[in-house]
Amino acid sequence: MPLKPAFVQELRAIVGAEGLVMSPEGRMVYECDMHTYYKGTPDLVVLPTRTEQVVEVVRRCREHQVPVVPRGAGTGLIGGAMAPRGGVMVGLNRMNAVLEIDLPNRCATVQPGLINSWLTRAVAERGYFFAPDPSSQMVASIGGNVATNAGGAHCLKYGITTNHVLGLEIVTGAGELVRLGGKVADRPGYDLTGAVVGSEGTFGLVTAITVRLLHAPEAVKTVLASFASLVDASHAVSDIIAAGIIPAALEMLDAVIIRAINAGVAPVYPAGAAAVLLIELDGPGAEVDRQSERCAGLCRERGALEVRVARDEAERALLWKGRKEAAGAVGRVTSSYLLQDAVVPRSKLPDIMQEMQTIAARHGVLIANVFHAGDGNLHPLICYDERKPEEVERAGLANEELLQACIALGGSITGEHGIGVDKAKNLPLQFAEADLNFMYRLRRVFDPHGIMNPDKLLPSHPACGEGFRPLRPSLPPGAWI
Amino acid sequence: MSVSTRSVGAALADVVGSSRISDRPEVLRAAALDDRVPRWVVRPASGEQVAAVLALAAEAGLAVAPRGSGAARDFGGPPERLDVVLDTLDLVRILEYKPDDLTVSVEAGLTAGALAASLNPRRQQLPMDPPGWAGRTLGGLVATNAHGPLRARYGTFRDLLLGVRFVQADGLLTWGGARVVKSVSGYDVPKLMVGALGTLGILVELTVRLHPMPDREGTWLITLPSAAAAQAVIALVLDSALEPMRLELLNAPALQACSAPSASVAVAISIGSVERAVREQGARLEELARRAGGRATALGEDFWDRYDRAFTTAEGEVVLQIGVLPSLIAQTLEAITAGQTDLRSGATPMVTGCAARGSIRVVLTGADVEDAAAFVTHLRAAIHGFDGSVVVQAGPRELRTALDPWGPVEPAAFELMRRLREEFDPRRVLNPGRFVGGL
Repeated sequence: MPLKPAFVQELRAIVGAEGLVMSPEGRMVYECDMHTYYKGTPDLVVLPTRTEQVVEVVRRCREHQVPVVPRGAGTGLIGGAMAPRGGVMVGLNRMNAVLEIDLPNRCATVQPGLINSWLTRAVAERGYFFAPDPSSQMVASIGGNVATNAGGAHCLKYGITTNHVLGLEIVTGAGELVRLGGKVADRPGYDLTGAVVGSEGTFGLVTAITVRLLHAPEAVKTVLASFASLVDASHAVSDIIAAGIIPAALEMLDAVIIRAINAGVAPVYPAGAAAVLLIELDGPGAEVDRQSERCAGLCRERGALEVRVARDEAERALLWKGRKEAAGAVGRVTSSYLLQDAVVPRSKLPDIMQEMQTIAARHGVLIANVFHAGDGNLHPLICYDERKPEEVERAGLANEELLQACIALGGSITGEHGIGVDKAKNLPLQFAEADLNFMYRLRRVFDPHGIMNPDKLLPSHPACGEGFRPLRPSLPPGAWI
Repeated sequence: MSVSTRSVGAALADVVGSSRISDRPEVLRAAALDDRVPRWVVRPASGEQVAAVLALAAEAGLAVAPRGSGAARDFGGPPERLDVVLDTLDLVRILEYKPDDLTVSVEAGLTAGALAASLNPRRQQLPMDPPGWAGRTLGGLVATNAHGPLRARYGTFRDLLLGVRFVQADGLLTWGGARVVKSVSGYDVPKLMVGALGTLGILVELTVRLHPMPDREGTWLITLPSAAAAQAVIALVLDSALEPMRLELLNAPALQACSAPSASVAVAISIGSVERAVREQGARLEELARRAGGRATALGEDFWDRYDRAFTTAEGEVVLQIGVLPSLIAQTLEAITAGQTDLRSGATPMVTGCAARGSIRVVLTGADVEDAAAFVTHLRAAIHGFDGSVVVQAGPRELRTALDPWGPVEPAAFELMRRLREEFDPRRVLNPGRFVGGL
């Protein structure tokens, strides 16, 4: 439904003509995020530069009952930053300033459009870093990290985005500007900051974020171990965790990925291995030395083909370059893939790896694996050729079966990418009606008019706007009064 | 619902069984919160029974206060109404301990001490050590967002709680979060339950992240001549590659209370790692201490037990929880000292707290209500200027009625909190009046 000219005029008065994208070709750029399967072009894109503009835009949209879709860098993987119902997309890239760096209190306040790695770059010389490190950190915005509660390879030790967010400023769906949390710990009241992180823009638009900065560790070591089977490598992962070692990162790559990286990026990993583990330890030098030895020993006990420790920073960087560029390298193997983000309890990795091979065989699909093994967060890439509808269908079936297998093992449908429009339908696998009901009502507290990022995060429900109510426990018959 | 002559009490007894409900006067008096005596104390045997009790309570318009060990019974404002005290002490099962995943799911009435006993053989821990932790229930620790010295390294329940099963005010058994260490599926409901004092639901089951115990632990006490020197040593430690498990501030009366070497102020630091790393970091600590004008001495392993005993408070003592910027700890200590001189009763505040996060705890023993109220007002005035907060975590009812125990909350944020509470408990069944702003 095209927007009314008077409404567009109101928005132009707020952000100026240079802050509007109206042309069809201009808006097309915003039709999807990195999950290109889901497309929905906004009727209009506004690019505010100040918080007050965001407040005014949301208020106008609320008055006109127009959907508001937030967008950061558009690097999400869940169809979160696209406009299924049209409406107004708010691109926050122009709000990308570092507002404050407060090293004595080890925190920084930034605008949502700031690129993740820029923050670390701003403090690295003084020995600090911002811990969340999604593979997209060179381009992803911190606002987007907050929306999806993004993870990354090193969140095994350091935790995901929410563990690093101290406070937020948010423009709720009601058009109110609210400051939550802050640099000082222990503010009285509900932890609304914690509720907003990971809410995928369904509560409002975050306009400022206060994050923790960590002191860089004294030493870092990266161990590479290759294996003859995925299951052996999975056992080694479980052994390391069970031994009481929490590496900074513990990543696994399978044969398909190893071949793709060796051919496409650089000959980084042992050719012919069925699985490679990248184990990174950081912390005090003596601890890193001891724990890297123990990890190497545990891998050998599980029959590792080769175990080696990166000798210098250059070799370490090369080992990680392969891992970080894996998704791109897969282009050599397949034209298209479905990327999964399910989680299993980490002790169940051997089981799910076996199960995955069965599922792949049953549906005749190739599944490549490159993932955060240490916390059980899988990233299988289910390959298909989009010109063959029958292959697309098989990939889809394998994908659903794999999700269900992860849930059956006690896992989760998403570890770090989020729900978006992609997995909203799968949420009932993990949550019962009562649980979803709580979430619908929570959403309504922040967005009473239902304008924020519609169709994302929660499955649509016949009465979702009202917050449907499952049955309560039955009362004893004729109880009273 | 048909008209019935049966009382609510009989209906409650139907739900939990007659052995799990009491209306005996001595039981009710013992369960009183401030001057509110409940009409029943119920002790459900399962989450389903908690759900059934709340369904009844909501229908009958009762007010319900969940209770674990009772350690936080005078936390927050005096209750507005009270009909049922819901005791969780029979919800004590360990539902699933997965040592290889470093997670455990437990019922909310289990004490932290009982959990620790089950984790110790595997050298794993739930790093949560507020004074008196061992006797407190995990549900109570979560609901009050308790934390102790280990917060410096491991954070609070906001970082440790993965999943939660709770009963909403109208009796709906609800699950939020996950049972795995990493999940962003759905909203992060567990965060809302931490520190909510049961006002959004009664906790019945928790899944938490565990941590391996370090190979070795060493503790050093850095004694210092002044608050400014303490600030300097804290800054030096935090701006180094040292990874302390605890970084705890103690003033002179606090040092005395745990039989530690005396000083005007000190910082107790523990390091957990492999043996050599502990030794090396300890040596570096000694050097940092010298640079700040202090002196580091190694403490015995029992120091933290003495700490725990010294600061486990008794009824009637006043406990304040102060949040300030870590860089303003010296000013805060000075504000406490300044306020202390006005205490007519001569009470001396014991100050402890996690220096890394600017989370300070003050225990005031022997102050009368008027004195304590003046002290809190003084601290709030001093700390308000730098965006901090002072919450009265425990103290006599008269103190918590003389002033708002929570202190001010920013109006826009409070409005969201009010709407949240109204959405999930419009009849004000759960702990009415006790949470921030009288919620």
